[in-house]
Amino acid sequence: MSLEYRVAAFVVLSVAVMFADSRFDYLDRVRFTLGFLTAPVYWLADTPARISNWIDDVFVSHGDLIEENERLREELLFAQRELQLLAGLATENNRLRALQEASAGVEGRVLAAEIINVSSTPGTRRVLINRGATDGVLLGQALLDANGLMGQVVEVLPFTSWVMLITDSRHGTPVQVNRNGERAVARGSRGDVPELELEFVPDTSDIEVGDLLVSSGLGQRFPKDYPVAEVTSVVHDRGQPFAVIKARPLAQMDSTRHVMLLTMTENEAERGDGVAPAWVDTTQNKPAVPIEEQIEELSASPQEEVLNPEPDSVSPDEPLPSEVADILPEEPTTNQQE
Amino acid sequence: MQQRTQGTWVIILSFFVAYLLAVVPFPDWAMNYRPQWVAMVLIYWVMALPYRVGIGAAWMAGLVMDLLEGSLLGLNALALAIVAYITLSLHQRLRMFSSLQQSGVVLALVGLHLMMTHWMKIAAEQAVASNLLFLLGALSSAFIWPWMFVLLRQMRRGFGVR
Repeated sequence: MSLEYRVAAFVVLSVAVMFADSRFDYLDRVRFTLGFLTAPVYWLADTPARISNWIDDVFVSHGDLIEENERLREELLFAQRELQLLAGLATENNRLRALQEASAGVEGRVLAAEIINVSSTPGTRRVLINRGATDGVLLGQALLDANGLMGQVVEVLPFTSWVMLITDSRHGTPVQVNRNGERAVARGSRGDVPELELEFVPDTSDIEVGDLLVSSGLGQRFPKDYPVAEVTSVVHDRGQPFAVIKARPLAQMDSTRHVMLLTMTENEAERGDGVAPAWVDTTQNKPAVPIEEQIEELSASPQEEVLNPEPDSVSPDEPLPSEVADILPEEPTTNQQE
Repeated sequence: MQQRTQGTWVIILSFFVAYLLAVVPFPDWAMNYRPQWVAMVLIYWVMALPYRVGIGAAWMAGLVMDLLEGSLLGLNALALAIVAYITLSLHQRLRMFSSLQQSGVVLALVGLHLMMTHWMKIAAEQAVASNLLFLLGALSSAFIWPWMFVLLRQMRRGFGVR
C-alpha cells in the first residue's frame, strides 16, 4: 500500500476516533482503563518536585521547626476559636432556615490532594491532581485551596484527575457579591493573565473594586459561600452594553501544591442540590401532609409500615431511606488524616 | 533478515523518556518554549528506521500523548501521523542534510504539528484561540535538535537498533 493511502487511512481513523470521543461516551471507559498506563509517567514526572519537598522537609534546622511549630499552634488556636463561633452560627443559621423551610447551607467533607502536573496546552488552564477514582473522586467535584475556590474535576482517571481551573476561559463560575448578594457569572479570561471576568453585568449594578465574590451555588456544581475572587477593576464604558469587571482569583493557582477536594454529602449529591446536609435535623421541616392522607397512605401500603417502625414519619413525598440517612451519624471518613 | 527487529526496547524507552519530558512541569514563563520531545523523537526514528517506525507507530505514539494530555483521543495521533508522513517522504534527503538544515526541517515540522493540534483543539472546543506564542516551542525544538540527533544516533548505533 502506498504511503499516501496509508496516511489517508490514518487521518480518517483519527477523525473517526475524535468524533466518537467528543460525541459519545463509550471511549471514556477506554480512556479510564488506559489511565492505569499513564499514571506511572505522571508519578515519575512528579518525582523531582517530591524529592525537593522531601529535602525541604528533612534538611530543616531544629530552630526553624520549633518556630514553625509555635506559629502553627498559634494559628490553630485562632482557627479553632473561629470554628467554635462558626459552629454556633451554623446551627443558628440552620434553625432559622428550617423555620423558613428554605434550603440549608453546605459544609461537606474534604479530601486532601496534591497538584502533580499542569496542562501544557496553550489556551487551557487545567491541573492534574493525585487523587482518582480509587480515592472516590467524582466528576464535577469542587477543588479548593486554603484561600478559595480553584476549579472542578473534569476527568476522573484511576489514580489521578484533571481539574479545570476557574480561570480557564471555558469555565464560568456562578458568583455573588458578598456585600450585597448581587449575582453574576465569572468567566475565566482569555488573556495571559489568569483572572476572571464578570459577564453580562449591567452598568447600574452595585459592584465596586475590592468587593469579595463568593460562590453563589446556583449552578449546583459548587457549594455556596466559598470565596472565589476579589474585584480588581470596574470599567463603565458607555460604548459597551455591559460593565467590564475583572476579578483576581483568591486561590493561589500557580504557587500552591496542596489542595482540597470537596465532597458534597451523599444527600446533596443524589438530589443534585444543596438541601439539608447530614447534620440538619430534618424532622423539623417535614412537609405538612394532613394526617388523614398519611393514614390513607399507610393503609394503602402496609409493607411500608413493616419497614418503618414509626408510622407517622412515612410520607410519599419524602422517601424513607434518605431521611434515615440524614438522622444516622455519618460514617467516619478515612481520607481526612492525610 | 533474521535480525530485522532488534532493539525495540530502545525505541520504546526513547519515547517513554520523551513522554516524561513532555509532562514534566515547567515554570509558567517557559510554558511556550517547551520543546515537542515526542514529535522530535518520532522524526528521528522515522528518519533513521523508516521501515520500522512509520505512520502507524506515529499514530500510536500520538494516541498515548492524547491520553497523557487528557485531550481529545486522536488529536495528537492525527498530527503526528501527518508529521511522520512528511518525514517518510523526505527521509532520504533528510539524512543528507547538515545539522543546520535538519534543524530547519524540524522547525517546520514541529511548527506544523503545533499548529495542527492548536487548530484541532479550537475546533473541538478544548482550547480557545490565543496568541501564536506557542509556536516558540518549534524554535526551541529546532535548537535542541542537533544534540538530540547525536544522542539518539549514539543510542541507535550502541545498541544496534535495526
